[in-house]
Amino acid sequence: MIRFENIEVTFGEQVAIPQLNLQVEQGEFFTLLGPSGCGKTTALRTLAGFIEPSAGEIYIDGKAASKLPSEKRSVGMVFQNYALFPSMSVRENIAFGLKVRKTGKVETDRLVDEIAAQVELTPEQLAKNVSELSGGQQQRVAIARALVLKPRILLLDEPLSNLDAKLRVQLREQLKNLQRELGITTVYVTHDQEEALTMSDRIAVFNHGVVEQVGTPEEIYNRSATEFVATFVGATNRLSGEFLQHLRGSGGEFLAAEKSSYLRLEKVGLQPPARGASIRLDGVIADRVYQGSHSTYTIDSNGSRLRALVPENGALPLAPGAKAQLYIDPSSILQY
Amino acid sequence: MRNSSWRAMLRSPLVVVVLVVLVWFVATFLVLPNATLLISTFFPDGKISFRALEKLVSSERALNSLWHSFALAATLAVTVNVVGIFIVLVTDYFKIRGSRVLWLGYATTLIYGGIVLAAGYNFIYGKYGFITNAVRNVFPDIDPNWFSGYFAVVVVMTLATTTNHMLFLGSSLAKIDYQTIEAARNMGASTWRILWRIVLPALRPMIFAVTVLTFLTGLGALTAPLVLGGTDFQTIAPMILTFSKSSGSRDLAALLAIILGLATIVLLAMMNRVEKSGTYFSVAKVATPLQKQPIRNPVANVLVHVVAYMLFVIYALPVLLIVLFSFLEANAISTGTITWDAFTLANYATVFGTPAVLKPFVVSVVYSALASLIVVLGMLFVARVFQKHRNPMTSLLEYLLHIPWILPTILIALALVMTFDRPNPLIGGQVLTGTTMLLLVAYVIIKIPFTLRLLKAAFASVPESLEDAARILGAGPLFTLRTVLVPLVLPTAAAITALNFNSLLDDYDAAVFLYHPLYEPLGLAIRASTEGENNLDAMSITFVYTVLLMIIMGFTMWLVYGRGGASRRRRRSRPGRPRGGAGAAAVPVPMPVPVPVAAAAVTVAAVPAAVPAAAPGSQP
Repeated sequence: MIRFENIEVTFGEQVAIPQLNLQVEQGEFFTLLGPSGCGKTTALRTLAGFIEPSAGEIYIDGKAASKLPSEKRSVGMVFQNYALFPSMSVRENIAFGLKVRKTGKVETDRLVDEIAAQVELTPEQLAKNVSELSGGQQQRVAIARALVLKPRILLLDEPLSNLDAKLRVQLREQLKNLQRELGITTVYVTHDQEEALTMSDRIAVFNHGVVEQVGTPEEIYNRSATEFVATFVGATNRLSGEFLQHLRGSGGEFLAAEKSSYLRLEKVGLQPPARGASIRLDGVIADRVYQGSHSTYTIDSNGSRLRALVPENGALPLAPGAKAQLYIDPSSILQY
Repeated sequence: MRNSSWRAMLRSPLVVVVLVVLVWFVATFLVLPNATLLISTFFPDGKISFRALEKLVSSERALNSLWHSFALAATLAVTVNVVGIFIVLVTDYFKIRGSRVLWLGYATTLIYGGIVLAAGYNFIYGKYGFITNAVRNVFPDIDPNWFSGYFAVVVVMTLATTTNHMLFLGSSLAKIDYQTIEAARNMGASTWRILWRIVLPALRPMIFAVTVLTFLTGLGALTAPLVLGGTDFQTIAPMILTFSKSSGSRDLAALLAIILGLATIVLLAMMNRVEKSGTYFSVAKVATPLQKQPIRNPVANVLVHVVAYMLFVIYALPVLLIVLFSFLEANAISTGTITWDAFTLANYATVFGTPAVLKPFVVSVVYSALASLIVVLGMLFVARVFQKHRNPMTSLLEYLLHIPWILPTILIALALVMTFDRPNPLIGGQVLTGTTMLLLVAYVIIKIPFTLRLLKAAFASVPESLEDAARILGAGPLFTLRTVLVPLVLPTAAAITALNFNSLLDDYDAAVFLYHPLYEPLGLAIRASTEGENNLDAMSITFVYTVLLMIIMGFTMWLVYGRGGASRRRRRSRPGRPRGGAGAAAVPVPMPVPVPVAAAAVTVAAVPAAVPAAAPGSQP
């Protein structure tokens, strides 16, 4: 559906994206994830046609598109701040693109009403001024405005970053459901790994303009391809050489001794696992932070200070200073 | 992404047209006249000559006027600061009873200034003034010329130029983080120590900027010395006017204008430097709005109240008297005896019933309206092009468009007269001097910098993503400009138009050099009424003019600030609005409304930008 082929973007002397190759499939929810300044927004804006790449080609539906102006690419976009036109009503905002296309009045009204119903905007809200809407409602207007032109691709540039935490989680689901219903190919930019993991079909992790890994959320999290992905997505423990040596001596011979090694927090068990292989190590509890549904323990073991995410399921908590047994599956260790 | 390359800029036919017109305008009306002025002064016959300088050195009058101007400027720098800081503190900082009323009294200079104010004071305190006559009825020995010369000019200009303090210092004060004051009090600092060590230091950059403006106003003062200076106290600007009237001394006029211009440039450059190096912004993430401070010492409290109300009377009295006198028979004013029978509507009937009397008013309204519309319309395009395409060419043009800011109005006017008194190929071989066009051109020129800066700020405050959004929805550049951008900058554009209109309405400085004898603007008519002895009817008519002007200006001010402030407050109080999203394009007009809270909403960027802009309009 969308193919970035050797795309290079430069701003003056500065190279924002050296060489980008990506493929997004039809109907996919595809996320560009990375820290700020990593080039993810630049990639999206290049796809939208706001930035002309200095080299390479973008193919949309098999056709070269990098010379096409934005409006000819059949992409709809929702901006970070929504970019609603403050001088127009909600209805006028949604109808803007139709007006540009000189769609008839009756047809315009029909299309606006249809899309408004889809994103759950009431007729009263359509008559309001955009500044009278809440953040979540404004976001729906922005989505409706982008979708009313029936684009083949929907671009979303951090559309949830303006909202408070609770609303963010709620809208995350709504957005995902809407995308699933419409089946529209969606490219989503975010720096929030949780958003990326929960919403995406596939994720591309960006760093310094380079894609470090493309994969499903599980692949990105459990089989992080690079050290950057492992540390950027989710929390990790970095394992010391001594700790690794110990693992190698008790069943983890396949681990490389000289590589940087990481272990996810929830992969450090304080109870023997129900199934699967595990290595038992001794440790001492250094600290415990209670977080409601779970606790994070800090444990000293074999020269490493590990954090472990333990569900609070009724077991007696361990106090600092207490001895603890750690159960670790060596195959869950990420090495680079 | 903004594309600043030349190619992209020249691809749009609209941009090309705007640039071509702009280059022609800048070359013809900004660069050429001022170059002509310089050349005709120092290279009158094609080779360098210092004859003008010799003339200046040998002319006692001219040298005296120079000295007087600098003396006036220096005096004003002190007196205006003393009065100005005092009125800002009593209206915005200290807890003073009736501070809203006081504010209204001090703010009277917002709605009348320049020639109108000078004439007003002259009619009240001058040789034939009401107060002078009234006092002389009781004490016949008093010198009728008591309100004249250096003293009178300093008094009038001090009162007139505190406007800058009210506008700019007031808004700086509102931006002080109140928590710093609370912290100081918590550590045991007294009212005076807090004022001296916390508040005034925070205001220092703005005080400096306002002082420079005051100094410049004093240096270029035209109307106050003209009307009230008498024969003994003439300053540069009136001298330039006198010398420019005969061709033999025009070079001297030009030289004086150049000296004035140089002084202005040096001072503005100084101000710019200081502004860049030492503006204090609140470091607080959650600044608390200023709360008014009570004066704890009872003696000091009473004293401050007394002085504040005395000043109120001094400010408000002329306005009240002018309104009163506009309803009085001229005789009653001149004899200083007012009875009930003397009240009449005849003066208004004369103004509205006599075409010849109403004409100057109409002429000024037409000129001001045309000039303010033309300049806003033109700058709307220019600002858009400048904001969208940044390259050496647009930067240069932008600098050149600021010429009217660094040159006094008198110099610009004189340069226009001297340049277009012969056929000029740049304007199709026409002569403009002596036509109705030249004054219009001057008015447009004078208003360019203020208009351009504010419009540019307005365009800049529109989030870039709005344009992108319009583009991705298929809108072309012109459609986007028309449907998305212009509606957003329209409130600002309307406000600028209104302010420009206001300040041109009673203009004297440019008009006196450039007016067409058959279309005399208001400023000149008012000035004429202050000349001579038995000009009673003219005086009454001037009172009516003044009342009309005050109504128009007051109404405009209310339209621009009063209502704007109210809607801004409403908008600010609405929760859940996304950053930079809807409503981000608030009117960035650089003046506070009479409410301290709203004054804080004045955008930081707009205030320094507008500081020099206020100066030309308020030169009395």
